[in-house]
Amino acid sequence: MSTGVAREQARPATDVVVTTALAAARPKPSTFGQWWILTTRLVEPTLRNGDVLTTIVAVVVFAVGWYIPLNHMMGARSGMSSYAQFLMPLIALQGISFAAITGALHAATDSVKGINRRFDSMPIAPMTPLVARMSAGVYRCAVATAAALITGHVIGFRFYRGLEYAVGFCVLLLLIGMVLSFMADLLGGYSRNPEATTQWLMLPQLIFGLLSVGIQPAEHFPDWIQPIVRNQPISQFIYALRALGGDSTPAAGSVTWSVIGPSVAWLVGVTIVMVPSSLILLLRRP
Amino acid sequence: MPLADQDATPDSAVLRDEAFPTVDRRFGENSPRLLVAHTWMQTQRLLIRLARDPMTFVFGLALPIFFLVVMNIVLGDAISSVSGHSALYGSVPLVTLIGAMNGASVGVVGIITERADGLLARLWVVPVHRASGLLARIASEAIRVVVNSFVLLCVGLFMGLRFEQGVLAGLAWLCIPVVFGMAFATLALTVAVYWPSTTLVEAITLVSALLLFFCTGFVPLDQYPQWIQPVVEHQPLSYATEVMRGLSLGNPVLGPLGGTLLWSAGIVIACAVPMVFGYRRASMRG
Repeated sequence: MSTGVAREQARPATDVVVTTALAAARPKPSTFGQWWILTTRLVEPTLRNGDVLTTIVAVVVFAVGWYIPLNHMMGARSGMSSYAQFLMPLIALQGISFAAITGALHAATDSVKGINRRFDSMPIAPMTPLVARMSAGVYRCAVATAAALITGHVIGFRFYRGLEYAVGFCVLLLLIGMVLSFMADLLGGYSRNPEATTQWLMLPQLIFGLLSVGIQPAEHFPDWIQPIVRNQPISQFIYALRALGGDSTPAAGSVTWSVIGPSVAWLVGVTIVMVPSSLILLLRRP
Repeated sequence: MPLADQDATPDSAVLRDEAFPTVDRRFGENSPRLLVAHTWMQTQRLLIRLARDPMTFVFGLALPIFFLVVMNIVLGDAISSVSGHSALYGSVPLVTLIGAMNGASVGVVGIITERADGLLARLWVVPVHRASGLLARIASEAIRVVVNSFVLLCVGLFMGLRFEQGVLAGLAWLCIPVVFGMAFATLALTVAVYWPSTTLVEAITLVSALLLFFCTGFVPLDQYPQWIQPVVEHQPLSYATEVMRGLSLGNPVLGPLGGTLLWSAGIVIACAVPMVFGYRRASMRG
């Protein structure tokens, strides 16, 4: 009996402890501040860890590697004022795909080292790490775009349609880069081996990049593959970018919906499919 | 009474001295008689590791085969109309050599992780012939390159490569990537023991990409601009490609063969001493 009374008396005391623990002011983290910190975490080391250098070197090597050997042979076939003008969209697209692959490498490293699970257990809004990775992706694509534009300018590419179309060129390129980064991030997050992922991602880049209208016009491909070459998304992006870049000859095409439309449709279509499915994957609790 | 006698039956094999193998110490650990046996043992170990690593197949086979097929579709017509014979006579040797070079990065990652895990240090303190570790690495690369080149040659034959000079020329064709691959593996191992970083894989990919774009197997020599032709003509991959092209088409091979052997011997001689000292240092200091 007496022990029962003692227990009765003890209970309120523990209740008080519990409720004060619950009532203690919880931190109210600012989502914007968290996004900023997570983004700088990815952006800040890029000069030191060689990310920026790798992107620039890759862009220059591939631009020079296509331009110098093929200029003489393909220049006349391209039908444009110079082969540099013809090749520029491919150089730019290769640059942003390198940037996306670097993003996949970091996503895979984060996933393997367990930092994503750590973020899941902290008071961070569920989408913040993803948005931060995407912001870093935009930064990497901007670096690649700048490197591609400078390289292109050196080998002889010029914007013929004035400033607003040049801005359009860069905006379209960055939009493609964002979609690619998003896909690469998703793939990287689910891979167990960062180095292997990067090497595997080189394959689609190689196949889609080379079997496109970026190196030579579609009519110079063998007949059986021409429909694939002409209609695959990378070729459509190249048609749109080439039209936005312009040329002194009419071969670049004009900026009309029939040229730009397919690119926009591809971007919108991929986004509509990718975003909900990736949200389902990301927000699923293991 | 000793513990062992209580617990074990007298005829327990473990407790009898003669149950342990008698160590054969007739030769010192660095005796030349042991070199072949130890090298073969370690070569087997490394080959099993190579065969179990999917990257061996990605670097050595998947990327070269895809590149070969795509290049043949994209540039095949243009090159054969310029050079007068099928582009395969240059591109199959080229991708074989690239497969030999890029595949070396698997061995490079192997030596870096074995150093970090302490396996190199462990092998240094057991009675294993000091030279067998390095020799086995180069021998395993040679065997990998033979198998790799044979598969790529079969792909080439399937696509339409033909040997006008008979089987002997075909066998000689297979030897060229082995010679160059061993020299390149020596170079890669030398760099790896001094600079143990996985960035080396990207560096190897980059070097091989540069050598690929500026090689006579990619585009005929006269298509390059005048100022870069000497570089293209005298780089190691062009020499090796020209020997292999000559062996399949019946062109003179003596000149380019001399170039290949000079390059390979030069690389091996330049790297041998630093490689041995670097390997010793890597083994002794973890």
